[in-house]
Amino acid sequence: MRVLQLVAAALLPLTALAAKKSPEERFNEAHAKPQPIKLDDRSYDALTKAPRDYSVAVLLTAMDARFGCQLCHEFQPEWELLARSWTKGDKGAESRLAFGTLDFLDGKATFQSMQLQTAPVMLLFHPTQGPHARPDKPMERLDFNTGINKADTVHQWLSRQLPDRPHPPVVRPIQYVKIAMTTTAVLGVITFLTVAAPYILPIIQNRNLWAAISLIAVLLFTSGHMFNHIRKVPYVAGDGKGGVSYFAGGFQNQFGLETQIVAALYGVLAFATISLALKVPRMADPRSQSVAVLVWGGVLLVTYSFLLSVFRVKNGGYPFWLPPF
Amino acid sequence: MAVDTAVPGADFFFKGESGRNTRGLLRLLILVTIAAAAIAARLFSVIRFESIIHEFDPWFNFRATKYLVNHGFYKFWDWFDDRTWHPLGRVTGGTLYPGLMVTSGVIYHLLRFLTLPVDIRNICVLLAPAFSGLTAWASYLLTSEMSDSPSAGLLAAVFMGITPGYISRSVAGSYDNEAIAIFLLVFTFFLWIKAVKQGSIMWGALCALFYGYMVSAWGGYVFITNLLPLHAFVLICMGRFSARLYVAFTTWYALGTLASMQIPFVGFLPIRNSDHMSALGVFGLMQLVGFAEYIRHQLPSKQFQTLLRAMVLVVFGLAFGGLVLLTVSGVVAPWSGRFYSLWDTGYAKIHIPIIASVSEHQPTAWPAFFFDLNMLIWLFPAGVYMCFRNLKDEQVFIVIYAVLASYFAGVMVRLMLTLTPIVCVAAAMALSQILDQFLVASQPSEPTESTKANGNANGNADIKDKLAAAIPESLRSTKAPLVGIYSYLSKSVITGAVTAYLLLFVLHCTWVTSNAYSSPSVVLASRLPDGSQHIIDDYREAYYWLRQNTKEDAKVMSWWDYGYQIGGMADRPTLVDNNTWNNTHIATVGKAMSSREEVSYPIMRQHEVDYVLVVFGGLLGYSGDDINKFLWMVRIAEGIWPDEVKERDFFTARGEYRVDDEATPTMRNSLMYKMSYYNYNSLFPAGQATDRVRGSKLPAQGPELSTLEEAFTSENWIIRIYKVKDLDNLGRSHQEAVGFEKGNKRKKAGKRRGPRTLRVD
Amino acid sequence: MRSLISWAWLGLISSIATADSNLTHESRNILPSAFSPPKHFRNVNLVRNINLEKSYPRETINVVIENIDKAAQNEYYIPFEQGSLGQIGGLEVVDKKEAEKKGFKVDVVGIDPFSTTEYYKITLPTPIPPKDQLTLSITYFVLSALSPLPREILQTDKQYVLHKFSAYAPSAYTTVKQKTKLKLPTTDVPDAVTLPASLNAEKKEDPQKQGTSYTYGPYSDIEAGAVQEVSVRYEFTKPLTHSKLLERDIEVSHWGGNIATEERQWLTNRAATLKNHFNRVQYQQSSYYNPPTSALKEMRFPLVVGSVDAYFTDDIGNVSTSRFRTNKKEANLELKPRYPLFGGWNYSFKVGWNGDLQNFLRKVKGGNGETFVLKIPFFEGPKQAEGIEYERIVTRVILPEGATNVNFQTTLPLISNTTSLHRTFLDTLGRTALTLTAINIVDELRDRDLIVTYDYPSIAKFRKPLTITAGIFAVFVVAWVLGNLDVSIGRKQEKGKKA
Repeated sequence: MRVLQLVAAALLPLTALAAKKSPEERFNEAHAKPQPIKLDDRSYDALTKAPRDYSVAVLLTAMDARFGCQLCHEFQPEWELLARSWTKGDKGAESRLAFGTLDFLDGKATFQSMQLQTAPVMLLFHPTQGPHARPDKPMERLDFNTGINKADTVHQWLSRQLPDRPHPPVVRPIQYVKIAMTTTAVLGVITFLTVAAPYILPIIQNRNLWAAISLIAVLLFTSGHMFNHIRKVPYVAGDGKGGVSYFAGGFQNQFGLETQIVAALYGVLAFATISLALKVPRMADPRSQSVAVLVWGGVLLVTYSFLLSVFRVKNGGYPFWLPPF
Repeated sequence: MAVDTAVPGADFFFKGESGRNTRGLLRLLILVTIAAAAIAARLFSVIRFESIIHEFDPWFNFRATKYLVNHGFYKFWDWFDDRTWHPLGRVTGGTLYPGLMVTSGVIYHLLRFLTLPVDIRNICVLLAPAFSGLTAWASYLLTSEMSDSPSAGLLAAVFMGITPGYISRSVAGSYDNEAIAIFLLVFTFFLWIKAVKQGSIMWGALCALFYGYMVSAWGGYVFITNLLPLHAFVLICMGRFSARLYVAFTTWYALGTLASMQIPFVGFLPIRNSDHMSALGVFGLMQLVGFAEYIRHQLPSKQFQTLLRAMVLVVFGLAFGGLVLLTVSGVVAPWSGRFYSLWDTGYAKIHIPIIASVSEHQPTAWPAFFFDLNMLIWLFPAGVYMCFRNLKDEQVFIVIYAVLASYFAGVMVRLMLTLTPIVCVAAAMALSQILDQFLVASQPSEPTESTKANGNANGNADIKDKLAAAIPESLRSTKAPLVGIYSYLSKSVITGAVTAYLLLFVLHCTWVTSNAYSSPSVVLASRLPDGSQHIIDDYREAYYWLRQNTKEDAKVMSWWDYGYQIGGMADRPTLVDNNTWNNTHIATVGKAMSSREEVSYPIMRQHEVDYVLVVFGGLLGYSGDDINKFLWMVRIAEGIWPDEVKERDFFTARGEYRVDDEATPTMRNSLMYKMSYYNYNSLFPAGQATDRVRGSKLPAQGPELSTLEEAFTSENWIIRIYKVKDLDNLGRSHQEAVGFEKGNKRKKAGKRRGPRTLRVD
Repeated sequence: MRSLISWAWLGLISSIATADSNLTHESRNILPSAFSPPKHFRNVNLVRNINLEKSYPRETINVVIENIDKAAQNEYYIPFEQGSLGQIGGLEVVDKKEAEKKGFKVDVVGIDPFSTTEYYKITLPTPIPPKDQLTLSITYFVLSALSPLPREILQTDKQYVLHKFSAYAPSAYTTVKQKTKLKLPTTDVPDAVTLPASLNAEKKEDPQKQGTSYTYGPYSDIEAGAVQEVSVRYEFTKPLTHSKLLERDIEVSHWGGNIATEERQWLTNRAATLKNHFNRVQYQQSSYYNPPTSALKEMRFPLVVGSVDAYFTDDIGNVSTSRFRTNKKEANLELKPRYPLFGGWNYSFKVGWNGDLQNFLRKVKGGNGETFVLKIPFFEGPKQAEGIEYERIVTRVILPEGATNVNFQTTLPLISNTTSLHRTFLDTLGRTALTLTAINIVDELRDRDLIVTYDYPSIAKFRKPLTITAGIFAVFVVAWVLGNLDVSIGRKQEKGKKA
């Protein structure tokens, strides 16, 4: 909080002056500062109040952890990148566009005055005078609900809104560190492989390993793991009565844990089958063999019937079942 | 199958030459029975309703087939269809997979030659079941190549015949590419395995031939195009390169690529598109390795071999780099959207809303797997595991196929179809293993040294043992020598259990087929209070009305889902249809539907639209209607005109999608909303109008239409057809005209006389 | 061919169905254009009844004719206007005194296309001696004669139709005394043209109304071919169902002992069109108390008793809204079109059913082989209270393969008949098909029979089984040959080494 007050104090003179400054000067000041400018209510009003012969793009966001606005955090670096590269793009400020960021904490009044429930929201103020004046539509609004979280999309939008002016492209800084890291990593891996090849090869060529890998993959996929991955389903959800419901109702949705349970069931069933088919006939001792047969058969029956009962939960009208479940 | 060996006494039939004949005959009989069962299981819809084409895409295939039959092959090949995508038209001959139509065309002409007057519609309806019988046979062949147990193949055939995962796309009437494609898929794989095992050019060529057929039949051929090279590649990496593999792959690739390039729709893709590059790369690698092998045989010097290996690697690396370069430079097209969206699962949702909007492109939840495959889904991993038991080329294939297919099936519901065959094969192998163990009547003696010798599932397989011995270390579970099952109790228990599961499986399949997969979404069935079936036939009512009572070239605008049906049943030109090749055009329709009348009318005039067709389920509670699809129209339109159509405006401040009083003004002024609810509340006492799908009470004041007039509404209001008014005679805007007729004459009304002009506001 | 052209010129033939036939008989004879019927006769007294209760007028002319010539005459002519003759159907003549007396031959006399009137020629069975009289009763129907006025009405409005006709009966001879009676379905008659009393023989007001019947005349001494245009407009809120074409196939199978019938209809409703478009709400509300409407809602087919498994389909498949009630006494097929047929709307559909052959076929001992007699209705369209008119009916009787010496007879006036071959269901040389075409028929005539006699040698039955057996055998041979081909390159053991 302290910091914010300081910022406000720092901006105070500017805004005070801004009251009697001409649009020209206001823009130059704003443009002089590193983009995007961090605004608060007053500087926001000062910057965006008519008359103005320049455009302002303001991002209304809520960075504070309390609001848990994930998108805000995702987009913030993109936004700064956009602002920076745009201003770097036209030093002469021919596009006459200033960028500002207004956090909810600094701009409660503004948020209330515009009755914003959601953040982030981007506002673009068109000039009220000058060549690009758009008296019919002083302000454009960009909502982020349609999954925008990259600078490029916003850049396109801006370019559409600001015709016949330069649109400096978004230039992402090259991350030398990353490149270096990857190269070193690759080299390291290669060297490691060359050195350790004689020890690794048998492991790679081990059939059990591959069997395990492919079986796990198959089980994962057939138990709907990709669905979780794509739809981002919750791991578990609580039922109304404070407990935990492991199985999502309905045929078309599922929980993370649910899929793991199902995968486990499949695994058990498959394992029982394998042992019946391969292990049991190789048992030399008749007694132990018949015991094993009965055990595995029992496991098979119980698990399968449980699986069926689970499926009946998912699919209401399913008529079939097995004892005991 | 193993039972027959157990019957004592009847030696003559089961031993020696005649025994082989008997078994062959039995196999034949069983296969025929299976095929019959497979066909019978798919006739639910024909028996319940009638022999009718289902769904949406089949209607286009049906129409194309009729065109082929009436106009001959060459006209079909360069068919430009001006009755779809008005005013653009569609180069249909060059943008479809002709395999399906040609197949049924050939059958049709064959029957004609035999003077059997079979209606082409019936051929189309029954094509899928007929081919499912063939698919069962093909999977029998494939599995027999995989496992040496006599029962595995038959089990696989049964599974393939009745598993819902395949029935879902091959019931009578679902006349779609998959109908024949799955048979071709399985059969091509069978031929490939055969070719790899024998290294014979003939099998390779046959494989290429059927691959070509597959390419002509279904876009899913890419799966084969990538799977076979992958198999070859893995074999090479496993150091299993052999002359057989070389012959098989080279033959297949050379001939198959040529064959595939004969299809206009595919054309030069095999050398220009990344989807096909893996095959090309492996082909090159194959040559390199072959060359290296050859050299190595010639000169045994050690260093030279290392040098050679290094060279091979370098060349391969260079080739790969070059390929990447070509792709970047754009000579080779990057991956096609649909295929790419398989890997980057978030891709379609953002970039190709049309693909994302299709329900069968959604990811698969686990119940769907169980629903479609029942117990096979857990026999499947077991079968895959058994492939590791003695891992030869063909088993490797099974493993790769299994992993890949299950990934794809997990990402897209419709790709469950490619998973099903391998599941059937693997499950059959697992189950047959059990049966062969537990259905042997003879009781094994206590293990001695002698019995240690014979290793495997079935007695007469000494070569197999030697091979197994040759392979360094086998699976842990198969270390010990095979003994057999001692007690009859355990045999009977397991046999009984398995039989029970199989019966349950059959019940499940029948139930699923009859309940889930047998309704021809064109005709809806509902139950009357007295339990009798009531058929709701609104679609055909409206389509037939269009067909009979509108002029031949009246353009009908509707959302693209119904394009094919209108083309097929109403026989009228449409603006957009299910072949979604032109996103902008679809977006145009979406914009017309989701904008105000003043905006939509010029669009419709410019596209010469005469009638607009909407699907409305509100009266009947039919949830698949246009209001529920509306948001997709908005999204797709927004993709092209982000400033004119905004999805945000169709949601209330609280972010709800509503149709009642609280619906946003944009929603209530949109053409779709107006057309859906126009005149609807006059059906109810004042203020009582309710929408049974959205379950919400509608505004007391119904919407007003000025530029359209209701032309026809089907019995249950499912289909509503509107006629686009002609320009006003007095040059007024329609709003003014309507206002004038209503009596509240505006100042401007009637003042502006003059030529009739289309005003774009 | 020329005759065909003149027909087409009359606008009667929608499609020249007989053009492709191999042998065609047309019952027309052509006269020079200068022709005008000799004035041999005189209509002593003529009474003409026009019955307007159905959707087509039915006219009955009872006329006493007298031979005023020296010689005995037997050719009586009836003139019609070029256009109107195209609409005349089912013209029949009987002797009023003794109705059962047959032998009145009716021909259409085609004159070359450029004269305005055409004639029906009636050939009397016995020539009338001079100064002798005979009472004829001539009946015919006029198709698509009623035209709705106003042409556009609202969905729930009443419909009024206009009928134009001549107060004088068409006659090629002087008529001494005549009158025209109208029988209307209703008393709601907004306007009927009144003629000046001067014309009237009894100088009374013309026409004279009593209840629903109007009378024009009597008039005396009307010259030949005189015309007095009058018209009457009355309420008729019923569909004017008009069938553009009815195709009917009857397939006789001796193997199955089955006779399969299929009828393909192309219907249109000539009623007044809707002013505004179709309104479902109104339609549903009115359907509770169903008022008279000009829309065709359903059709009833009374079929031959014993008909089974009827079906009702159209171009896009089965139509579920049909009921087939059958029992010992009746077999009724009740159809609802997919949508109600309002004025100007079309509907084409297909109905079919099977029957037991024994009810239709008799075997008579003929000369060579066996001779059969088939007796079937010429057509069985829907039977509606307001009536249906058929512009053209094409009936095709498909006899079993190998049937020869085909003859037929029917009381309906035909315009052409053809015998051809029809190949289906593994036929080798094809089945004999008899195609008969009639025009301007109304549903009152739907019980007229068609009797076909043909020879069918018993050996012909066994052609098909033999063909099938031979075919299957050939397939086996081919399969065996293909199975024994060896396609491998090089010797077998090499392959073994490679593997």
